Amino acid sequence: MKLVIKLVLIAILGMSSASILAAVSEKDAGIAIAAAEAERKKAASVDSEWRDTGKIIKKAQEAMNKGNYEKALKLANRAEHQGVYGYEQAMSQKDLKMPSYLIH
Amino acid sequence: MKKIISLLILMVIALSALSIAHADPEQDRKSIIKFFETRFVGIPLSEYVNGVYAYDTIGRESWEAIEEFPPYEIAIEKGQDMWEKPFANGKTYTDCFPDGPAIAQKYPHWDKKQAMVMTLPLAINQCREANGEKLLKYKKGSINNILAYIAFESRGKKTHVVIPKDAPGALAAYEDGKKFFFTRRGQLNFSCATCHIQNAGNRIRSDNLSPALGHTTHFPVYRSKWGAVGTLHRRFTGCNKQVRAKPFKAQGEQYRNLEYFLTYLSNGLELNGPGSRK
Ligand code: HEC
Repeated sequence: MKLVIKLVLIAILGMSSASILAAVSEKDAGIAIAAAEAERKKAASVDSEWRDTGKIIKKAQEAMNKGNYEKALKLANRAEHQGVYGYEQAMSQKDLKMPSYLIH
Repeated sequence: MKKIISLLILMVIALSALSIAHADPEQDRKSIIKFFETRFVGIPLSEYVNGVYAYDTIGRESWEAIEEFPPYEIAIEKGQDMWEKPFANGKTYTDCFPDGPAIAQKYPHWDKKQAMVMTLPLAINQCREANGEKLLKYKKGSINNILAYIAFESRGKKTHVVIPKDAPGALAAYEDGKKFFFTRRGQLNFSCATCHIQNAGNRIRSDNLSPALGHTTHFPVYRSKWGAVGTLHRRFTGCNKQVRAKPFKAQGEQYRNLEYFLTYLSNGLELNGPGSRK
């Protein structure tokens, strides 16, 4: 009997902690969207924003508004990476050189 | 002794790399012409005004057939009406452009007073604004009519972009446009030069890529894909989007400086707008 109770308790604990681990809160999603927006702006400040970054952030916002925080987080992270890459892309070309095929 | 020689060699290499990074506009233009002359042996410079059809012989046939009944003709007619019809205040475009309508060869140019690159579409809207008229949009719509008329009247004039030495902002704008042209952008990491210099003549999907040389001589362009005549900056927008880069504002500083650089490359080439393309 004791064993059964113990097992049930463990099962309940296990389930609740699993759901705690998986659940993305509204706050998490909001933070991720803000981070993505900041990176998008940083890339734009050096004329290197990618085409879809703003659209992805908009989709993330929409997902958040519908309570789909997990999807919102995923989209926001993707947009954030695009912003980071766009900025780095511009920085890596700060000192323009004529490409080698134009040097005669 | 050996050390000195290798040091000297290093210095020479460093110096030549420097001069390439800060080449002057004439040097840029010549090295790009030389690139194309080497790639497309036997094609005369004057052919580059025809874009990809300078070397796409199959595409050229259908293009020539289309040009017999030019799809931009209506735009020219409508543009002439616009040019001649007085504004609400009784003035006309001729009051802003006394040498008009054959004025395309004067643009783009460095505007000393406004300290910026002045393009023809921008000058048209400044004229309208000064006369209390509504501003025209810069990519689609009726701006293309008046541009088509001016382009048609300017046929045979030569591209003649000047970068005045006494205005340091002008060279800076040119350098800025040049940097834009060679900078890789977007998720696909392509620059304008990747497609329109390095890969000119190669195919991308179903398109043969045109040379940057001659890019500006024939705008505005009727594009079958658009089903309408569109501006040069509309084309820039499409090319930026293709590589999944966010496009810039039509007639914003980035595209105006890009136009300054790109048009400079075509110096000496005849104006033959409006054009038609796939
Ligand atoms: C991924 C390749 C690619 C890149 C990068 C690219 N373009 Fe294009 N561009 C095209 C294709 C394809 C066309 C249509 C076929 C043609 O005329 O080359 C075109 C057409 C054009 C035309 C019209 C040519 C004509 O004869 O009317 C202009 C002007 C132009 N591009 C400018 C630019 C500029 C400026 C950039 C950089 C911002 C750029 N392109 C970047 C692929 C590209």
